[in-house]
Amino acid sequence: MQHMTAAPGLDRELKKGSAELLILSLVEDQPRHGYDLSKLIETRSGGRLTFRVASLYPLLYRLEKRGWIQGRWIEKAGQRRRRYYRLTTAGAKVLEAQRHTWREFVDAISRITGVEHA
Amino acid sequence: MPEWPRRINEEMRQHLDDEYAALRARGVSHDHAMRTLAGDVEAAASLRPRPVDSLTADVRYALRGLGQRPGFTAVVMLTLALGIGATTAVFTVVDAVMLRPYSYADMDRIVALAETTRAGQTMSIAWQNFQDWRAQSGVFDALGLYRPMVVNLTGGAQPERLVASLASADVFRALGIPPIAGRAFSRDEDGVAAARVALVSERFWRSHFNASADAVGASLTLNGEPYTIVGVLPEGMRFPSRLTDVWLPLGLFVPTFPADRGAHPGLFAIAKVKAGISIEHATAEMDTIARRLEQQYPLSNNEHTVAVVPYYEQIVQNIRPALLMLMGAVAFVLLIGCANLANLMLAKAEGRQRELAIREALGATRWRLFQQLLTESVLMALGGGLLGVLVAWWGVKAFVASGPSTVPRLDLVAVDLRVLTFALLVSLGTGIAFGLAPALRASAVELAAAMRDAAGSRATAERLRSLLVVGEVALAIVLLTGAGLALRSFAALTAIDLGFDPSRVVTLRVALPNARYPELPRWIAFHRELAARAAAIPGVEAAGLNSAVPLESGGAESEVRYEGQPLPKSVHEDATMCLFQAVTPEYFRLLGLTLLDGRLLDTRDEQVGSPPVIVVDQAWSRRFFPKGTAVGQRLHEGGCNTCPWVTVVGVVSGVKYSGLDAPDEGTVYQTVAARGPGATEQITSRARYLILRTRADAAVVLPAVQQVLREMDPALPLSEVVTQTVRSTGWS
Repeated sequence: MQHMTAAPGLDRELKKGSAELLILSLVEDQPRHGYDLSKLIETRSGGRLTFRVASLYPLLYRLEKRGWIQGRWIEKAGQRRRRYYRLTTAGAKVLEAQRHTWREFVDAISRITGVEHA
Repeated sequence: MPEWPRRINEEMRQHLDDEYAALRARGVSHDHAMRTLAGDVEAAASLRPRPVDSLTADVRYALRGLGQRPGFTAVVMLTLALGIGATTAVFTVVDAVMLRPYSYADMDRIVALAETTRAGQTMSIAWQNFQDWRAQSGVFDALGLYRPMVVNLTGGAQPERLVASLASADVFRALGIPPIAGRAFSRDEDGVAAARVALVSERFWRSHFNASADAVGASLTLNGEPYTIVGVLPEGMRFPSRLTDVWLPLGLFVPTFPADRGAHPGLFAIAKVKAGISIEHATAEMDTIARRLEQQYPLSNNEHTVAVVPYYEQIVQNIRPALLMLMGAVAFVLLIGCANLANLMLAKAEGRQRELAIREALGATRWRLFQQLLTESVLMALGGGLLGVLVAWWGVKAFVASGPSTVPRLDLVAVDLRVLTFALLVSLGTGIAFGLAPALRASAVELAAAMRDAAGSRATAERLRSLLVVGEVALAIVLLTGAGLALRSFAALTAIDLGFDPSRVVTLRVALPNARYPELPRWIAFHRELAARAAAIPGVEAAGLNSAVPLESGGAESEVRYEGQPLPKSVHEDATMCLFQAVTPEYFRLLGLTLLDGRLLDTRDEQVGSPPVIVVDQAWSRRFFPKGTAVGQRLHEGGCNTCPWVTVVGVVSGVKYSGLDAPDEGTVYQTVAARGPGATEQITSRARYLILRTRADAAVVLPAVQQVLREMDPALPLSEVVTQTVRSTGWS
C-alpha cells in the first residue's frame, strides 16, 4: 500500500497514514479533481511528495466508497468532463480525528527527539 | 463492480493528458514527455482488473443477489440437491462396480471358463475334461481350476466357518496376484501328492495372526485336518469371492472328484489368454477341443462346448443393465430439474431486465453480464451439489446397509474423492446447463427495448420457455413409464406366495466335517438328536431339518426317470432334472405345508432297510403326471436304471426354494436318513439346516440351541442364523 513516492527518509508507515490525511485536507475547502490534487501535493511539499497516477485514483475511489469524499462529474464549456471530489460530513469527522492523531504523533516524536516544529 | 475501472481509467487518462500538456507547455519535446510519462502509463495499465478479481467480485455480487432472494435460491438448491444427490449416489455404485480398476494384472486378458451345452446351459467342469483342455489348448498363459467351498476352522477359542476355495497353481498366475508373504501354490501341488498347505487372505492374516511374519509356517486345523500356511495373499485378491479367506491346493482334492466324465463336481476355470490372442480366437480353439472330446466321449460330452467369458464381463453382466437403467433414470431426473430451473431463471431474468440494462448503460459489457448471470447459476448448482453429496452419502450408506447380494464389490461402494470429483463436475455442468440459456438471453438485452419492456423480446422468451416445458414433459413421460414398469414387476414379485408362513421361522446351518463324521450312521444320529433336542427347547414350537432353506436356491438337482418314461436322446434332457430336499418328517408340519394326496414322510421311512419312498410337491405332480395322481408312481433317481425303485407316497403344497421369481419345476422330499452324504463329499454338501418355528423371539431361543450344539460337539461352529421373515423381504 504505497501511495506516494517521496524523498528518502520518510517512513513507509508514515506515508500510508498520511496520504488519506493529505487528500481529505485538500478537498476540505473546495471540490478538486485528481490532477489538481496531485499538483497541489507536489508543489506544497516542495517536490518532496508526489503521487503516482496508479495510486492516486484507486485511493480516491476507496475514499469515496467509504463515504469520506463524494465525486461528481462536471463538464465545463470547451473542456472534457472531470470528476470533482468534495469532503462529506463523515469525511470531515475523519479528517478532524486524523488531524488530531497526527498532531499528537508529531508532538510525541518531538518531545523525544527534541526536534521542534518546522 | 464493472464501472469502477472505467471511471478510474477515464480519470487517469485525463491526468496523463494534462501532465503531457503541462510538460509540452514547459517546452519539453514530445519524445521526452512520453518517456517521462512512460512509468505512469505502465503503472496505470497494470491497474486493469485481473480475471480473478472480476470472478471474486462476481461471486460476491451473486451471493448478495441470492441472499436477497432466499425463497427462490432455496427452491433451486433443493431441486438440484435431489437431482445431483441421486445421480451421485448411483454413480458411486457404478464406479465401484464397473469403473474402478481391479487389482488383477491385465484384467482384459483374464477369462472365466465353464462347460455349457450348445443350447447355452452352463454347468461346472468335469475333471477329466479340464485335464484334456489343459493338455490340448495353446492359447492360455495360465489355465487354473478352482472350487469354492466352506471349511470349519478349529483350535482357536471359538470354532469358525471360513469361506475357502480349492485352487490350482495357475489360478494365481492367471490373476497375476503375487502373495505379500511366503509363496503361492506350485504346479506340484496340483497333483495328488500335494502336502497339506494353505494360503490365507490378508484379512485373515491380520485378524488371526496380527499380521505377524510367523504366520507363514504356522498350522491351521481345517475340517479337522492340519494345514501349514505357506503364503498370504493381498487384499486385492478377491477371487473366487471377496469373502474367501483360505485357499487349499487342488491336488489334495483330486481323489474326491468323480471318476465319471459325465459328472460335474462344481469345478470352474479361470485363465489368462496369451498376449496378442483375442478372446474370439481362444473361444474358437476351446470349441475345437470340445468337438474333439464330443467325438471321443459321445455319451458324456454330447452337445457340449466351452463358454469363454471375459472375467470382467462375468462380474458385471448381471448388474450392468440395472445400473445403466438406474443411471439413465437419475440423469433424466437431473435433466428435468435443469429444464425446470432454466425456466425459473428465464422468468426471473425477465424481471431483472431493467437492472441489467442499467448496468450495461453504466459500462458493463455484455460478456460481463453474461459472466455474472452464469456465476449465479453455477454458484447455486455448487450449493445444490454440496447438499446433493449429503443426499448421496446417506443414500449410499442405506444401500450398502441393505446388503444386496447381487452387487459385486459392494464393500467398495462409498463416497470418496472420485465420487466428490464427479459431484463437482456434475454440479458445474448442471449450473452451466440450466444457467446458459437464461444468461445468454438476458445478457443480449436490447437497451432501449428493455427499458420499454418491448413485446418482441417477451415473445422470444415465451418461445424458449415453451420449448423447455415440452422437453421436460417428454423426459417426465419416459421416466414415469420406466418407473411404472419397475413398480409393476416389484408388485408382481411381492405378490408371490412363498408357500409357507415365514414368520417366527429361524434357520441355522450345521456342517459336520467329514474328518470327524465319516460314517453315515453317526452323521444321521447326530442330526436326529439335534432335531429332537432343539424341539425340546422352551419357546420352540417345532424343529426339523432340511438340506436347503426356502428361497435360497439350495437342495440337490438330480435326474429322475419315472417308470415308463421314454429313454432320453441326449444325456442332458432338461425335463428329467428336479430338486431334491432331504428333510425330517417334522419339516412339513413345521412349515405348514398342506398334504394334497397320499401321506407325509414319517419315522417309518427313516428306518434302515425301509422301502425307499418320496413325497413330491404339487408342481412336480402336475409336471410329470398332469392327468392322474403321482401317488404310487415309481421312479429312478440320478439316471441309475439298476437302483431300486423309489415310490411316491404323497403330494404336498409347494414352497419357493429357488427364489421368488424362479419358475416352480417341482420338488422331491426324501428323509435326511435316505439322503445322507457320501464319505468323500465336501462340507458344503454335507451341511444341513436346522429349521425352527419359535413361539418366542429368536434371540431368546438361539442361545439355548447354541448350548445344545456345544454339548453335542464343542468344535462345531454355528453359522448363518437367519429368520425367514427377514430373508423373504430382504430379497431386493
